[in-house]
Amino acid sequence: MELVSTAQFRPAMLRANAADSYAKRIVQLVSDLAQTGLKTEHPLLAKRETKKRAVLFILTANRGMCGGYNSSVLRLALAKLRELQSEYEQVDLFVSGKRGISFLKYRKIEIERSYTEFDHKPSYDRVLELANELLTLYKKGDIDRFDVAYVKFFSTAKQTPVVETLLPLSNLEVEASGNNEKKLDYEFLPSPQSILEEVIPNAFRTLLFKRLLDAAVSEQVARMMAMKAATDNADEMISSLTTSYNRARQSQITNEIIEVISGASALK
Amino acid sequence: MKCIVVTPEKTLVDEDAKFIVAPLYDGEYGIDADHAPVVGRLGVGEMRLTLVNDAVQYWFIDGGILEVVDNVATFLTNRACPISDLNVGEARKAIEDANRLPMGSLAEVEIRTEALARANAQLKAAEKAHAMK
Repeated sequence: MELVSTAQFRPAMLRANAADSYAKRIVQLVSDLAQTGLKTEHPLLAKRETKKRAVLFILTANRGMCGGYNSSVLRLALAKLRELQSEYEQVDLFVSGKRGISFLKYRKIEIERSYTEFDHKPSYDRVLELANELLTLYKKGDIDRFDVAYVKFFSTAKQTPVVETLLPLSNLEVEASGNNEKKLDYEFLPSPQSILEEVIPNAFRTLLFKRLLDAAVSEQVARMMAMKAATDNADEMISSLTTSYNRARQSQITNEIIEVISGASALK
Repeated sequence: MKCIVVTPEKTLVDEDAKFIVAPLYDGEYGIDADHAPVVGRLGVGEMRLTLVNDAVQYWFIDGGILEVVDNVATFLTNRACPISDLNVGEARKAIEDANRLPMGSLAEVEIRTEALARANAQLKAAEKAHAMK
């Protein structure tokens, strides 16, 4: 199992890095746009006053054997769910991963939609479909907020469960304001505002995709760690069992020798 | 001049180019070496890439953003593929599907118009690829 997850970890990591470079370019663009003096206003960036329906998307694994991966994200998600329920009239749960689905069913918490196809290799086309649907719902005003609960990947040594708000995309400006290294005079075709209209939905799609990839990478790392610990424990157990087996065998042989010797000496 | 096409999944093109024709929102846009810095909104359509050895590549680009700076043209798009991968039948079906979308509100009309434009551009590129075969 450790080898399997190590093998799956590498491609997952590469995919996450590819999406990361795309996301960084988008964020850079937003910051370039901000530098033109354009007020970055967009319906997807603005906070909504209405608090009717919120969606919480929980990303868990399809399989277990990955230590505290699933439980850590589910614990955090339930706390967030309670918080959202006190604020919004209706909170719908979207859950990805069989583990999360069965956990919530056991707890008798209603799931609006469940997904099992994202797993360790989420396809962009599928994510695009979901992202576009969410964007449409948000534009129409059917949902007012969209949160994702997942395990964020920092490095192979650090993964932390987090809940992030993707709609409205308020943190995009914060991320963008962080990297203002170069200043260039761009010509915008047709206008900075129109570019923004194209960039912002794209940023949302990419960020959602990135979250799914991050969760996949974290899952493989967690499984790698858990299975490594299991292998180490089994090795330790084997060596201690071998020692006690050898001791028992040794004492049995000693006993038999004593019996033979004592039998022989009795015949003398 | 470098031409880079990036989708969230991977980098599809990273080549030295002589000349690029990009499908912008309002028509085709030519990019030669030493072009001024530009950020443009891409439409849906065909991108023609003339390589250094005069070979021409045809790519289908599904919207996004074009950035030209320091002799590097970067296409940030959700979906891109060689036009030879497109299928006329699928494109026709996409048009039919788009035609069936509801037109109840302004937002719905917008969504439908966008889907229809995308499907039409796809059909155009697919037909061209088919003719080239």
